[in-house]
Amino acid sequence: MIADRYEVVGASFVGGMAAVWPCNDIVLQRKVAIKVMPGSAEKRRIRDELSALLKMRSNHVVQVYDVLNLNKDLAIVQEFVEGKDLFDEGLAPKNKNEYLKLLWQIASGIANIHDLDVIHRDIKPNNMKVDPEGVVKIFDFGLARDEGPSAATLGFVGTPGFAAPELYRHHVTFTAAVDTYAFGATALFLGLRDLPPELVHRPPVLSGANYFSALPFKLAKDVESILNTCLEESPSIRPAMRDVRDLLAKHLLHNRHRALIVFDGKASYLDATRPSVVLRLASIGEIGIRYDGFDFLVDRVSGEVFINNSPVAVGDHLPGACVVALGAPERKADRKYITFDLSHPEIVL
Amino acid sequence: MSGPLKPSDIIGDRYEILRYVGEGGMQFVYQAKDILTDRHVALKTPKNKSATKRFRRSAVVAAKVNHPNVAKTLDYLKVGTQRYLIEEYIEGSDLKAALLQETAYLDPYLAAKVLHHLAKGVAAAHHAGVVHRDLKPTNIMVIGGYSLHELKVTDFGIARMADEELREAVEGGDASMSASQTAVGALPYMAPEAIDEPSTVGPPADIWSVGAMMYHLLCGQYPFGQGLRAVPKIMTAKLPDPPEFLSANPQFAPLAKEILEIAFSCLKKDPMERPTADQLVEKCSTLCYTSSPRQQGVVCDFRYGAWGFIRTPEGSVFFHRECVYGPMPVVGDPVLFASYDGGGADRALPVVKLTGATD
Repeated sequence: MIADRYEVVGASFVGGMAAVWPCNDIVLQRKVAIKVMPGSAEKRRIRDELSALLKMRSNHVVQVYDVLNLNKDLAIVQEFVEGKDLFDEGLAPKNKNEYLKLLWQIASGIANIHDLDVIHRDIKPNNMKVDPEGVVKIFDFGLARDEGPSAATLGFVGTPGFAAPELYRHHVTFTAAVDTYAFGATALFLGLRDLPPELVHRPPVLSGANYFSALPFKLAKDVESILNTCLEESPSIRPAMRDVRDLLAKHLLHNRHRALIVFDGKASYLDATRPSVVLRLASIGEIGIRYDGFDFLVDRVSGEVFINNSPVAVGDHLPGACVVALGAPERKADRKYITFDLSHPEIVL
Repeated sequence: MSGPLKPSDIIGDRYEILRYVGEGGMQFVYQAKDILTDRHVALKTPKNKSATKRFRRSAVVAAKVNHPNVAKTLDYLKVGTQRYLIEEYIEGSDLKAALLQETAYLDPYLAAKVLHHLAKGVAAAHHAGVVHRDLKPTNIMVIGGYSLHELKVTDFGIARMADEELREAVEGGDASMSASQTAVGALPYMAPEAIDEPSTVGPPADIWSVGAMMYHLLCGQYPFGQGLRAVPKIMTAKLPDPPEFLSANPQFAPLAKEILEIAFSCLKKDPMERPTADQLVEKCSTLCYTSSPRQQGVVCDFRYGAWGFIRTPEGSVFFHRECVYGPMPVVGDPVLFASYDGGGADRALPVVKLTGATD
């Protein structure tokens, strides 16, 4: 029994640098994993990071429930996730759609962590589980592991294959780009079920090659490109995880948007089955709008047309919330307005 | 009234009371500081014996759900004979206080956003095998008021207590009915089977409540009325006639109609005919709505009954009658609106006249 309420229900296992105990919380009747971090009770940074994690609610990151002081050790009470980790062959994605859904969930979880200014520091397939509902959960934060003498003197803390090249240098400073690199390597591993030798090399020898062209399924050019950029040698070139997440979401939501356009008292809907419309105000101006499966674009324009008071060109995107005006501002009350509203499709896992 | 605790009381050597927040039918709510982790939390404690019985159950049930649209359960303590539930502190107010005080109903854009978030929270609960049983505006927390930054469902599983109180109220007639906060607050949103056979209630009862709430938010009136007179109407589940303003303006009619259809699909007498929470989320995925922040202002000019200006501290905003949802405001009326860059003056859409609550 830990802290008079957590009943240990299994053997401990080692997670990162600490022991993890599966327990039953007898008060709230839920299974938890308690990670005991030896001698860390005084470490300010660990406490700061835990405060941030305690506030987080992400569908794709294991929840941190509470922090315990056990003598000189700090213990973290976390959600216990049943299921296998992503290293398991049985969880290998069978097609491109499954692969993109997997990557999107991982990218969402990391982006949520980065939004709190926390770095995970140990992203790899073994640190992600698929729960009984099929939802990916990232766990096992390498909390503030760059602190203290071991990181500075040893110069390397991480998992070969997933550790970014800068982690092999003498004085290691972690940035969020470390997670981005590890995400890229994880994505490559999940598709190939292995890593190319140059990435397993310590430190990795990065050539800027198109690693993702070797996958068993063909990715869209922009997806392939952003995933390759995650594996850039230079941390500053790697993309923000929220941009990776948003691009993956864009492809998963292909053809699933809908727009409601109201003009002159008439409503029209645009979607994949009815992708375009032309709206016209006689002798003043007209605009054609088309859905290309990703965005709503202006595909023709003539006369006096303004979107949110800016001039319009063919190829412009219509933002989520906008008013299109037909007629220049001088026409005042004679201008006609078109309202354009977008749906908010959800990614169904 | 401020309940049994006062500022600077320390509960369980860990939670320092900062202020009294308010009370629900069953509990007192305080804002407290968790001394160990240095974060603000909500501390709830039951009001009476019958509430105490169910309190831990409520904590255990809510603790199973992990979703951004559900308030996070952090801890549960028993100190002497007192019980305390520790929850994520939400910087906001309940949906009734946040969205139904200055207006009697919401414009369809805002209603769609509420429905979408609510459906996601309820779906997460149902996935975790949890039925809320008592969904109503006062059990839903809103951050950001009419701009609706976030929405979180709270107070899970208190409903067992609600059943008991309601049965007593029904037996006691209208006098004890009006004395029962739970009966008054929950009844308009209760599914027929929740009144008839409370012990059999499952996930579809929550779906009914979502439908009843959406009808209320969209139309500004309860779908089956209030008080004991609502009971026979709920039992027959005869759908109400929506007010005319829903379809009067072609700018808003298409979205209002879609939301109304979703609400009606939830208000089927047979629980099996209602959509599941997942189907509800999927349906919400197709609604076209804009979530622009809302401001308040006063109509300062209205010409030819066609167009005018709204005065705000930041300047004047243009509006056209086509952008008004519900009754047309006159000069001097306070209104709620979102604004777009429109050239010259910004342009307001939608514009809703502030009418105050209906009850």
